[in-house]
Amino acid sequence: QVIKKEGSGTESPMIGDKVTVHYTGWLLDGTKFDSSLDRKDKFSFDLGKGEVIKAWDIAVATMKVGEICQITCKPEYAYGSAGSPPKIPPNATLIFEVKLFEFKGEDLTDDEDGGIIRRIRKKGEGYSKPNEGALVEIQFEGRYGDRVFDRRELRFEIGEGDNYDLPHGLEKAIQKMEKSEESVFYLKSNYGFGSAGKEKFQIPPDAELQYEVKLKSFEKAKESWEMNTDEKLEQSCIVKERGTQYFKEGKYKRAALQYKKIVSWLEHESGLSDEEDTKAKSLRLAAHLNLAMCHLKLKEYSQAVENCNKALELDSSNEKGLFRRGEAHLAVNDFELARGDFQKVIQLYPSNKAAKVQLVICQQKIREQHEKEKKMYAKMFQRLADKDVKSAATLQTSHTEDAEMKDERNGVEDKSEIDTEA
Amino acid sequence: MAVDELQAIIQRCQILEEADFKGEDFNLFQVAGQKCLEDGYAAQLLEVIQNEKNKVIVKNMGWNLVSPLVRCILMYKQEDDKREHCLKILDQLAQLCNPKELVLGLLEQIEQTSGEQVCQTVLLLLRPLQTVLLKLQHKKAYSVGLSLAMIMNQLTPLPVPYTKQQIQEDKLGLCQCCPAVVEFAKPFVNEVVKNMEKSSEYNGTELKEELLKFCMKSLEYPLLTAQLEQLEGIEEHPFRHFATEIIDILWDIREVIPLVFSYRKGRCPDWENEEFADIERKNSADSLACLSYLVFVQHFGIDRFPVVFSSSYLLQCNMMHIEVLLKRTEESVLSKGLDLLESSLLRVEDNGLLRQYLEFRDFINVPQDLVKVMTLCPMEHLRKKSLSILQLFIDKFDAEGKYTLFRCLLKTSNHAGVEGYIIKNIKDQIHLSLTKTRDNIWFTGHHLISLLDLVLLLPEGAETDLLQNSDRIMASLNLLRYLVIKDGESDNQTGVWTTLAKIEQNFLKPLHVGLNMSKAHYEAEIKNKKENRKEAHSSSTVCSVSVSGERMPAMTTEVQLQVLHSALFTFDLIESVLARVEELIEAKVKAGMDENR
Repeated sequence: QVIKKEGSGTESPMIGDKVTVHYTGWLLDGTKFDSSLDRKDKFSFDLGKGEVIKAWDIAVATMKVGEICQITCKPEYAYGSAGSPPKIPPNATLIFEVKLFEFKGEDLTDDEDGGIIRRIRKKGEGYSKPNEGALVEIQFEGRYGDRVFDRRELRFEIGEGDNYDLPHGLEKAIQKMEKSEESVFYLKSNYGFGSAGKEKFQIPPDAELQYEVKLKSFEKAKESWEMNTDEKLEQSCIVKERGTQYFKEGKYKRAALQYKKIVSWLEHESGLSDEEDTKAKSLRLAAHLNLAMCHLKLKEYSQAVENCNKALELDSSNEKGLFRRGEAHLAVNDFELARGDFQKVIQLYPSNKAAKVQLVICQQKIREQHEKEKKMYAKMFQRLADKDVKSAATLQTSHTEDAEMKDERNGVEDKSEIDTEA
Repeated sequence: MAVDELQAIIQRCQILEEADFKGEDFNLFQVAGQKCLEDGYAAQLLEVIQNEKNKVIVKNMGWNLVSPLVRCILMYKQEDDKREHCLKILDQLAQLCNPKELVLGLLEQIEQTSGEQVCQTVLLLLRPLQTVLLKLQHKKAYSVGLSLAMIMNQLTPLPVPYTKQQIQEDKLGLCQCCPAVVEFAKPFVNEVVKNMEKSSEYNGTELKEELLKFCMKSLEYPLLTAQLEQLEGIEEHPFRHFATEIIDILWDIREVIPLVFSYRKGRCPDWENEEFADIERKNSADSLACLSYLVFVQHFGIDRFPVVFSSSYLLQCNMMHIEVLLKRTEESVLSKGLDLLESSLLRVEDNGLLRQYLEFRDFINVPQDLVKVMTLCPMEHLRKKSLSILQLFIDKFDAEGKYTLFRCLLKTSNHAGVEGYIIKNIKDQIHLSLTKTRDNIWFTGHHLISLLDLVLLLPEGAETDLLQNSDRIMASLNLLRYLVIKDGESDNQTGVWTTLAKIEQNFLKPLHVGLNMSKAHYEAEIKNKKENRKEAHSSSTVCSVSVSGERMPAMTTEVQLQVLHSALFTFDLIESVLARVEELIEAKVKAGMDENR
């Protein structure tokens, strides 16, 4: 409830703005409990962020500069049943007289030099904000004066904004945004493109810029138990993209880390609706398949097998799962098992040429293995006599084997892809 | 003799110009003066110093006398005249000597004391030091800072009196010293205040910064570890008084609000030197936490604190400080942390905290810290308090928040007792949601099933140590029993009937197996022991336990048998509840089937 006494000025402050007031507060019985005038210090706070009692957030947002108004606050909009010891008893109605001196956009810079100012159009959800390295999805419009010089939808990692022609002041600003927030940022040139300007966008040096940004989503670093199912599914999609990006850049370890997140989040998730369940399964399948791929690249074959097994649990006739498992088996000379897998691939997907090639190799290997073993057993009885000859022979066979393995591997790499669908 | 020597050197120097004083002159003066004091001629020395003609000499050479003076003063008894004389000499020196040199002389004295003499020396030298510093006019900031830092440094190693008796005894004089130090600082505070009133920008920022440093240091020592509750029989509690004064200073220099909210806003107090800023930031964590405690729990200085902040915002700001305090192990600090958390939570209404607050790192760390205190702290009253505060914490969150908290604590606490407690909480919440008309999605339906998966399981399948986990298992069984009774199969509000098969497989069956195994094992043990008892009492213990260096006597067979029997009793208990639950399930399923026919 608000009863205005006087007023002047034109605009009212927006959410997030820093407002400066003088105020005095009384209890219903007339006891004055607080006044900034007594402290001889104006009081400043960030509007609309829950820093002050609800009545203030609502009332001050309607005020104009120079206005003095009197607010009567019911307990639900003030301190409620708990009160605020020692001065405010429970269930107290409070009366404030507030004078608004000024308000200004929120300064996001560390040194408060006014280099990045934010005005929030639409408040975001939750309290977490993207941090360094987070993958964010934004929709934005960059303006210089009246001209729009950049309008895009973009997904990128905080810290790599340079690669996408984003001034670092904008990255800083995004790190202070909440999910679904829409805000306008005013960047001074040292937080913009500085003295170099930006030729690509025809920005001259020392230009002040304006960016209107909507933060659609971002990857949060959370523990598994912290997220509910929706969040997990959402984050899993983001993380999968990230993994794919890393994979394309050859950063297999990092890619693997991303996919592992999906597994850890969704593996034991239960109580899903049918729709969520399908989505979760497909994400997990993709994660395991891609992880297998990463492990193959990193030559961690047993882990590759493990992931293929898990993938095949979800989808027993998955082509890539079988194929990659075959590869892993081959790489550690489990030829029989490799053959089994490749055979199954060909059985289910007759058009898979790579599998056929691999199968031939497997057969060959198995034959060689048998022969080697035959020789070994045969020679074992002549060991003493033919020791040198035998060792030379085995060396030779292992050399040729290595050379063949290398050939295979090259062939395999060409054929392998990563799961970007699903 | 000594006096004559003194007179001699004085006379010589009287004729000289100030600039002509030589090193040996200084030495001779000092030696002579020292001798006078030691031989008991303080009165004469006083005369010499009071003599107008000797002003210049004293101004330059006087500061060398500080050291012997202090020694003598501390030596002489209270009533001794000579002591009086010495004190007067000290005063005169403060008036006459070159301030810069005298400051150094005094500080040197303070630096050289230790142990029991520290407080005595400090108390003695505070007033002359103050006089001298005030003489420094505009360049005093550095010296004031140095003095305060030096004094606090010397005081810090002293133990802080904690119990009522210790405070009353005040063996080392700390309780007297602290208030005196605050008095010492007051004129400087006033100066800063006056300058701030004159203009917003002024030269005295350095002085303000030094005072700020002093306050921050005081918050850490002695206030952080001091006992600050009202004590019966002690009217003027020295540390409460000290705390009030420090906070008053902070208010006067307008630093309370910036400090209380410094972490929230991400801006720490501005230190001039960037390198020290990082170190200061770490050290300041303790001080800031203490400040919050003083303001919000003890209400020191709260009358000047704006009464417009929302309670949940204050809670947010304080969480970081609470975390700092809860991570410590000293009773004094830990109890402050618990008190601060309690008082901050009490300001918030039940069910008032939104789940989003758990997105803040410290809101998750703090309950985990509480669990650590509950389970590991050696002091019983703190353990109990920690548990009650955890319950308070849980109560303040809305349904979704509670749900998330339960999941978190179940996964991270690693303690059967805590898990049992949480499971009981879950049962209460389910009860609430079933009895109230308001639809609570978090404790019914598929969310609940997800939670139950965490609850109704044996951590290591059939091989779980049932004894160790008995608290948890009993709580789980009770929960299941409640669900089976309360939620009819036809209603199935909680969804328990849909997952019944899974529950049976993951929980009930392995529990049967586990119980059978454990009972068999223990029964075998008992049989063994009984048989062995008939044989010789050989003390071939498998392991020995020693407490505080003393070897505990090996458990007699009697006691061992007792333990084994009580284990069996626990198993029987679990089994009986398990049987009852299965009975109920069967009954309901049967009833359901009968209905459907």
